[in-house]
Amino acid sequence: MRVGLFITCLADLLRPSLARAARTLLALTGAEVVVPRRQTCCGQPALNAGAPTAARTLALKLVREFADCDAVVLPSGSCAGTLRIHFPGLFTERPEAERRDIEALAARTHELAEFLERRLPEVPGRYAGRVTYHDSCSGLRELGVKQAPRALLARVPGLTLVEMANAEDCCGFGGTFALKYGAISAAICDRKCAAIRASGAGTVTGGDLGCLMHMAGRLQRTGDTTTRVLHWAELVAGTDGVQTWK
Amino acid sequence: MEVTSHRFRAAAAESLANTQLQRALARIPERFVAARARAAAEFGEFEQLRAAGAAIRERTLARLDVLLERFEAEAVRRGARVHWAVDAAEANRIVLDIARGHGVRRIVKSKSMVTEECALNDALETAGLEVLETDLGEYILQLARERPSHIIAPVIHKNREEVTELFSARHRRPRSTDIAALCQEAREILRPQFFAADMGITGANFLVAETGSVALFTNEGNGRLVTTLPRVHVAVAGIEKVVETLGELAALARLLPRSATGQAISNYFTLLTGVRGATESDGPEAFHIVLLDNGRSRLLGSELHPILRCIRCGACLNHCPVYQTVGGHAYGWVYPGPMGAVWTPALVGLERARELPEAATFCGQCQVACPVMIPLPDLLRRLRTRATAERLRPARERLALNLWGCAARHPRLYALLTALAARMLYRLGHRRGWVRRLPLAAGWTATRDFPAGEGRTAREVLRRERSG
Amino acid sequence: MSAREAILTRVRAATAGTRAPPAAEMIPRAAGTLTEDPLARFRRLAEASGSTLDEAASAAVPGCVAAYLKDAGLTHAAVVWPALAALPWTAAGIAAEARAPQTTDAIGITGAFCGIAETGTLLLLSAGDSPGATSLVPETHIALLPRERIVRDFEAAFARVHAERGALPRALAFISGPSRTADIEQTIVIGAHGPKRVHIILVG
Repeated sequence: MRVGLFITCLADLLRPSLARAARTLLALTGAEVVVPRRQTCCGQPALNAGAPTAARTLALKLVREFADCDAVVLPSGSCAGTLRIHFPGLFTERPEAERRDIEALAARTHELAEFLERRLPEVPGRYAGRVTYHDSCSGLRELGVKQAPRALLARVPGLTLVEMANAEDCCGFGGTFALKYGAISAAICDRKCAAIRASGAGTVTGGDLGCLMHMAGRLQRTGDTTTRVLHWAELVAGTDGVQTWK
Repeated sequence: MEVTSHRFRAAAAESLANTQLQRALARIPERFVAARARAAAEFGEFEQLRAAGAAIRERTLARLDVLLERFEAEAVRRGARVHWAVDAAEANRIVLDIARGHGVRRIVKSKSMVTEECALNDALETAGLEVLETDLGEYILQLARERPSHIIAPVIHKNREEVTELFSARHRRPRSTDIAALCQEAREILRPQFFAADMGITGANFLVAETGSVALFTNEGNGRLVTTLPRVHVAVAGIEKVVETLGELAALARLLPRSATGQAISNYFTLLTGVRGATESDGPEAFHIVLLDNGRSRLLGSELHPILRCIRCGACLNHCPVYQTVGGHAYGWVYPGPMGAVWTPALVGLERARELPEAATFCGQCQVACPVMIPLPDLLRRLRTRATAERLRPARERLALNLWGCAARHPRLYALLTALAARMLYRLGHRRGWVRRLPLAAGWTATRDFPAGEGRTAREVLRRERSG
Repeated sequence: MSAREAILTRVRAATAGTRAPPAAEMIPRAAGTLTEDPLARFRRLAEASGSTLDEAASAAVPGCVAAYLKDAGLTHAAVVWPALAALPWTAAGIAAEARAPQTTDAIGITGAFCGIAETGTLLLLSAGDSPGATSLVPETHIALLPRERIVRDFEAAFARVHAERGALPRALAFISGPSRTADIEQTIVIGAHGPKRVHIILVG
């Protein structure tokens, strides 16, 4: 099986350790892992900014770049949701050939945890500590990702998973919302940060880098320099050499 | 009613700084979100009920012309008068004419968002009529000369001390900040007004086509008083509120209170058909129903069509992280929260409410909570698309989007720019791991630090590992 | 063109050619509605909505009402539905008047068309001998509900109205407990504009 890893633009720019973790974990499944070099962004910002034409262009670009992959895997619920849930809707009035390609892409798109859950033979990571998992909205409500990352985390020796209150509540990131309405976004995040601290876990994890950098940045700004923030894949792959956000 | 949605950003900032409001909003998760979740769990097949509710509403909308005509015929057969209003001004004129025709001086009202939409009270008061809101929340707002900030809990933004101030200034009775005592005071003050009124005005939660009936869901009992004691009853309803059968009404009766307050049923669910019979000692002698369009027919079949399913339960407000943070007034018109971010541009024009579809995180909680499964995030996305197409977004935003789009389409350029950005961020913040101020992303760094990254892009790192 | 024509013309144009989705095959009921004993469910949920319940044989109703009023420390002067005027109220020590209630009336005694087990709800129908105000204006509402008139759900209640009355009466009042408000600080207060007490006597 040939698996294409879509790094996602945020991991590309800000979190190479996540890309490395994702590639390591995918390789452990025995699949041939490729990272197409021309990949950029899935087009979610365009989609949500009301620029469907730009989003369609990037969608077709993805079709070409991942044409020879049996599966396209993303370490992000919202990017995977863009490919799987939103792309087909963008092409309902486009020529049949494009529609077919886009639907085929959607059908073989997987969020990383869903893909790994039944395929990962061993968990290389070790972690000493209590970890709480934040359910990012798109992964949870668009793709139904809830149990898979928790199941993977539970396999990490030394790691204790504790649930925070209202883990499914939005953290206030919301893509460009976080930039346009920074004050509201941060105020929403403060409720999430309080829930994280109240959980007693020293580490918070999740499946969407946008939410994670938002929570980590807010914790940092409000003087919390101890709570650690990591993508769950980094915990599962092993955090040696990974700079946690704290 | 004046639209101030263009002030969303400034109004939201005021809301964030208002600690009293923040304390009030903090009650929403337990009082509304958890209550709804408990009610849904107790019901059991709530998801199937939501699907049935959505189907009923779509079925109605697909035959709206037929059902409205049937409703009219049945209502008229039972002695009601049915009036049609193209817009708010016409609805107000009709209600005023009804009042004059019946020699009405005093009017009591039950809570109705559609009459807020029309600013009916202003129109009636300007014409010299006495109008009294009798829902406790609306009565408080009338004293305070404020708008509702929530469609089912209109005065959620006020605390008991503020109510005490308003009451003592108006009622001249001993002051109390006890909530039960305040409720009793309002009951005693308003009670004689129901008897003295010539006319009662209500909205309509639903209109039933097969019987020509108006359905109302209330808890306080003022809705029943307003439709039982005065000699004239006027119900104002949006044309989309019609359902065909009592069976469909029963299904929606299961959805509405559970979604709104977490109650299995409201205290009073009233079904009103026709006028007082010859032997009856109460009930209105005249029953007028005003069917208001005000932009709704334009939405039928449009890209915003699904919002017409809305049954005004308020669940999307309660579940919205933005509403929970800024409250209802920031939205600047009658309908706040996710449904308001669609209804407002849909009814008053996107150019007057362009901020609202932007002020959403697309978390999807509203869609999950909506009793009739309105895809609210999709509708907001469609409004954003229209705003972009109609050039309603600021030029710098369009420019940023175009530059980003251009880079994303050109992998080599993109690689170059991201490699530069990764290095720049690392230089700015590698010592702490965080950047405190980024001129190009001030919207972010005003409230959060920005990660400094690793100094290389992931694609550079992976390629190096592979070759090394 | 009249407003009516203008609106209907636009609606017709917009709905032309759209096909209505099929009617829902089965509307779910609240869990237990179709399986639980209706009387037991009615009692349970009526109490949950803040009503109090008692039961009495038909002949013992006035005495049962009097005992409730005494226990609750309430006046024995009541307004009753004309439909119930013939009951032996005076013998039980109740000064019952069959007339429209005024603000000063503290007790209202009514019958009920049926009880709905699904939510523990009373259904009262308006008519000359069963005015709506009696269940609404006084602070205490006492409802006499024949125990055989408890139906499972709203659909059954509508069907019964149709079967027994034909057309809908002017007002159907579905009542679930005493009136309440949570408008101030989302704190529930029992007794808003309607009754503060609802007492249901299951008769028979």
